Amino acid sequence: MARLADIDGNPVAERYELTACLQCGRCTGGCPVGLRSPLNSRRLLYEAVVREDGDALVARDEVWDCTACRTCSDRCPRELDPAAVIREIRTLKIEGGRIPTTAMDALESTLKHGNPWGRSRRRRTQWAEGLPVPSVEDGQESDRLWFVGCTPAYDPRCQAMARALARLFHAAGYAYTTLGTEEVCCGSEVLRLGELGLFEELLETNREALQGLEIREVVTTSPHCLTAFRTDYGLEIPVRHASQAVADLLDAGRLPLVRQAPLRVAFHDPCYLGRQSGVYDAPRRVLAAVPGVELVEFDRCRERSLCCEGGGGRMWLEGLGEGERNAQRRVRDAADLGVDAVVTACPFCLLTLEDARKTTGLEDTLEIVDLAELAARALDDPADGPGEEERS
Amino acid sequence: MNLAVFVKQVPDTAEADLVVAADGRSVRTGDAPLQLNEWDRFALEEAVLWKERTGGALTAFLVGPEEHEDALRRCLAVGADRAVRVWDPALPGQGPCAVARVLRAAVGDEPYDLFLCGAQAADDGFGLVGPLLAGELGIPSATLVNRLELQDGRVRCTRELEAGWGEVVDLDLPALVTIQTGINEPRYVSILGIRKARKKPIDLLGLGDVGLDDRRVGEAGSRLRVEAFAPPPAGREAEFLEGPPDAVARQVVDLLREKGGVL
Repeated sequence: MARLADIDGNPVAERYELTACLQCGRCTGGCPVGLRSPLNSRRLLYEAVVREDGDALVARDEVWDCTACRTCSDRCPRELDPAAVIREIRTLKIEGGRIPTTAMDALESTLKHGNPWGRSRRRRTQWAEGLPVPSVEDGQESDRLWFVGCTPAYDPRCQAMARALARLFHAAGYAYTTLGTEEVCCGSEVLRLGELGLFEELLETNREALQGLEIREVVTTSPHCLTAFRTDYGLEIPVRHASQAVADLLDAGRLPLVRQAPLRVAFHDPCYLGRQSGVYDAPRRVLAAVPGVELVEFDRCRERSLCCEGGGGRMWLEGLGEGERNAQRRVRDAADLGVDAVVTACPFCLLTLEDARKTTGLEDTLEIVDLAELAARALDDPADGPGEEERS
Repeated sequence: MNLAVFVKQVPDTAEADLVVAADGRSVRTGDAPLQLNEWDRFALEEAVLWKERTGGALTAFLVGPEEHEDALRRCLAVGADRAVRVWDPALPGQGPCAVARVLRAAVGDEPYDLFLCGAQAADDGFGLVGPLLAGELGIPSATLVNRLELQDGRVRCTRELEAGWGEVVDLDLPALVTIQTGINEPRYVSILGIRKARKKPIDLLGLGDVGLDDRRVGEAGSRLRVEAFAPPPAGREAEFLEGPPDAVARQVVDLLREKGGVL
């Protein structure tokens, strides 16, 4: 019997300085799944310090409930990192081979196909059909890379995010290139599921691609790719989220948003955009520039935003038993605010909120819109299709 | 218990655009990535569980080129002690008889107690290598096994038959079983695990090493020759059920009862 040790055999209590834990409970109190899941970060930290039997901690399945939103780590007064301890336990589970089959499928797909959705590499650019999206595969180089991301590239709902963004970039004459079918998953969720080896391989592949092409700036559709490149890779070049790029184009007067898009909206701050990357104002600057849009803030907005439960690999894990999901609570809150739409800027938030809208019976009264989609509605010609490009 | 598992690397065709090659006798899989054959994943897991339960050793065998070695790395990563890959320029294009002959030769005189194969391969789907190999080895075998227990020095195999029926057979050891999917829950094989397994050796054997000549293997040594491949004819169009949800649900139940064999 031994205390909980990480994959290299280092005691987790020492590595994460867990003896400094005050057991104040701020981590557990802020956990967005705490009401429905037995996941209790305060207890896990305590047991990692005192329990002789580390294997018993590794056997705990509730670590799969974590959304890796990092509220626990952000709120810790001793600056400890409970989220990282949970990830260590996931890694130990991965190395033991006993993980939920849905997560297994996503990881195996990422290894085989370069994306967690089980789709062929060849189909990665299908979303862009009919749009003038440049790609290094067509010899269109630029020192700015738009990293489209797996979910915007493959998921039918999220492809609309990518299409809208492409149209905004095109309208502004924004210079960039993409990796086309050679784009490979950033590994954000792979890392948070605890698959360190696979994450390292993805990091290597992407780093080499960026260096080989002499990329000096990366723009990501997804806040998860943003977090991966910025925080997990520690890239030395600037990495920005699409909302920041669009906000800058608006400030520079390069993006004419002229058509009325009359909507009362609430903005849902994605955890990986707000709390994890500190981007709160750029999406609000974009909203303010769309004619006719009126922003109503959620009570829980910005740093206090409510996690939609789409992070930490949860897109590939079963939901937690009974009770209302956070995304359902979010859309009900939006309905109470009397808004027409919830706007967000993350593919996972978009999908979880879309699901929640349907399961709460708000399908006919509430719209879930991506920020780029909303901005693209205000373009001079809002049509999304090949015809539009032929005319322009 | 001394265990042997036989695995195959096959293309993942879920998203592939398959076309019949110009010779009409093979299928081009395009850029479909390779993966461990689905049935073999279960056979490997079963072999590892038996090794964990009974102690002893596990050897993994594969007939294939170097790019198929990943299947053996996975075997080593989850607990195989040794891996053997057999390859020779004369081997491509061989049918199940020749594969069984090659595997038999690769096994040599090693006294294994239990041999495990996947029930079939996802690419050619013959389901024959297992039973043919048992014939070559002169030992009893059972196919489509979905439950395997050790009882008084024999293995009790439950074979999956149609419509939920099962057949129980007892085999004296040494024996060969072909494993049906669903018998267990194959574990995840992590990249770090595969990386660590790179330190374990993979024995590479050629035809000369196993004492076979090229007339007994490959196309020349196969009793079966594929004459032609053809894509399946387009089926009838899908039927759309319309109406209020409760009426549609009733129609679905009726259809499943009538045609599906599900209810």
